[in-house]
Amino acid sequence: MRRLLLLPLLGLAAALPAHAQLSAPGTIDSLSLALVASAAEPAVTPAVAEPAKPAPVAPSGLTAQPWYRPHHVVLQTAGGQGMVTAGVGYTTLRGRVDVDALAGYVPSKYSITAMGIFTGKLTYAPWTLPVGAAGRWQVRPLTAGALVSYTASQGINDTRDEKYYQGYYWWSARTRIGGFVGGKVSRVIGTNRYGHPRTLGAYYELGTNDLYLSSIFTNLGGLGVHDILTLGLGVKMDL
Amino acid sequence: MPQLSTPANILLSLRRALLAGVMLLFSGLIAGCDLLEFSPNETRAPKEYRDLTRKNLEALQARPNPTGGDTVRFVFIGDSQRFYEEAEAFVQSVNRQRNIAFVAISGDISDFGLIRELRWVHDRLKHLDVPYLTVVGNHDLVANGREAYQRVYGPLNYSFEYGSTRFVFVDTNGREYGFNGRVPDVPWLQQTLAAPAPGIRRQVVMSHVPPHDEDFDKQLETSYVQTLSGPNTPPVAFELNGHKHDFGIGQPYENGLTFINSYSFEKRQYVVLTVWGEKEFKLDTVQY
Repeated sequence: MRRLLLLPLLGLAAALPAHAQLSAPGTIDSLSLALVASAAEPAVTPAVAEPAKPAPVAPSGLTAQPWYRPHHVVLQTAGGQGMVTAGVGYTTLRGRVDVDALAGYVPSKYSITAMGIFTGKLTYAPWTLPVGAAGRWQVRPLTAGALVSYTASQGINDTRDEKYYQGYYWWSARTRIGGFVGGKVSRVIGTNRYGHPRTLGAYYELGTNDLYLSSIFTNLGGLGVHDILTLGLGVKMDL
Repeated sequence: MPQLSTPANILLSLRRALLAGVMLLFSGLIAGCDLLEFSPNETRAPKEYRDLTRKNLEALQARPNPTGGDTVRFVFIGDSQRFYEEAEAFVQSVNRQRNIAFVAISGDISDFGLIRELRWVHDRLKHLDVPYLTVVGNHDLVANGREAYQRVYGPLNYSFEYGSTRFVFVDTNGREYGFNGRVPDVPWLQQTLAAPAPGIRRQVVMSHVPPHDEDFDKQLETSYVQTLSGPNTPPVAFELNGHKHDFGIGQPYENGLTFINSYSFEKRQYVVLTVWGEKEFKLDTVQY
């Protein structure tokens, strides 16, 4: 926990010249090295005796961040997206929408050959409720989302290759479309480089996919909703 | 200073216990929860959904032949894929039949080759009063289906003996292997049909795709049909197939070998096959 107190230091990195920013700001060590490096090059930041500028603060929304810098990292299990799944994502629409890109892994123990599952996911959270007087906790009581995934695995028997004539099977063995509802609990653990609160959250997703849906819709009396549900659990941390 | 006993403080003082409780709940979920699916294509299954062919064969061998003597009677149906309501009705109907030895399902247990589908089907068929035996269908081989089928049911080619009959179940889904010239495994079939056994009066072959279908490997059609109609001891009484989703019986080749195709589950009909002698059989259609 004590290390977390140092996190606001990362905010300084935004004020550094570009070459210093390139060094990974994730660890304190590399950050202090970067600080030393910039001090050694006085030409880049001329020491003008101006009154201390206010710390750079991004305007509300996250527009000030360069597009290539993800807003959060994700670690997840299950939910049809892999046994161990990691990814990055962006938050937009005032924190209501997360767009995540994930890569998941399923070992060959549970497959013909190991599977790599690549998922693009959009999660909408209409409400964020602060919990507790200090405002350190946030609850998103309801989230809803959609995802598309592609499974790479040598052993998978394709449904749309030269073995078949066109339309032999109507679905893809590798591409899945899914939807889910869920929730998320987050805790503020300091601020990020722009002075925004940095949160660490745990979430769940109760979902299903296109093939399960087509199974239930043709069997409304035969399958129950519980039959087609999947559960995914994950943590998300703001960068 | 006296401790305040607001609900928040009580929660705070219990947080360790709460945390432990949540952790316990979580680990329980992860260990035992079917909901936590890594991929629809994964092939994990709990013990009660594994090795069903072996378990059903053991159950069958433990049952004395209900018809007795030289006769064997079994239910023949196929293509349960995505017909879960029908599967429930089917089970109720079969359980009302008398003197049935087992149920034979001619492949396409699943539609998408997913392990959950195999489990959904077994969740219904496990209520049958008699064992059921399956052969792999082309839909069961889609995606990771081959391994899912092998985990849940068992071998793709196998044989067993019951009621004076040798039943030979063989994978004939050549298209799923890109017509590689190895499916069906004709040498295995020859070997299996050739070995005579004491007390066996006839042999019955069941496969999903019939040899005269476009999804059968054309390179192997002649050798496959010749193997079935060759001088086997005892002879092959007939071949059972699925895939066409409707009943049919005929002798498409000059050698006079009979092929019987099953109703699919959606047709809400099945056949009761009674077999005796070398090649004698009787078909009864039951609607459910």
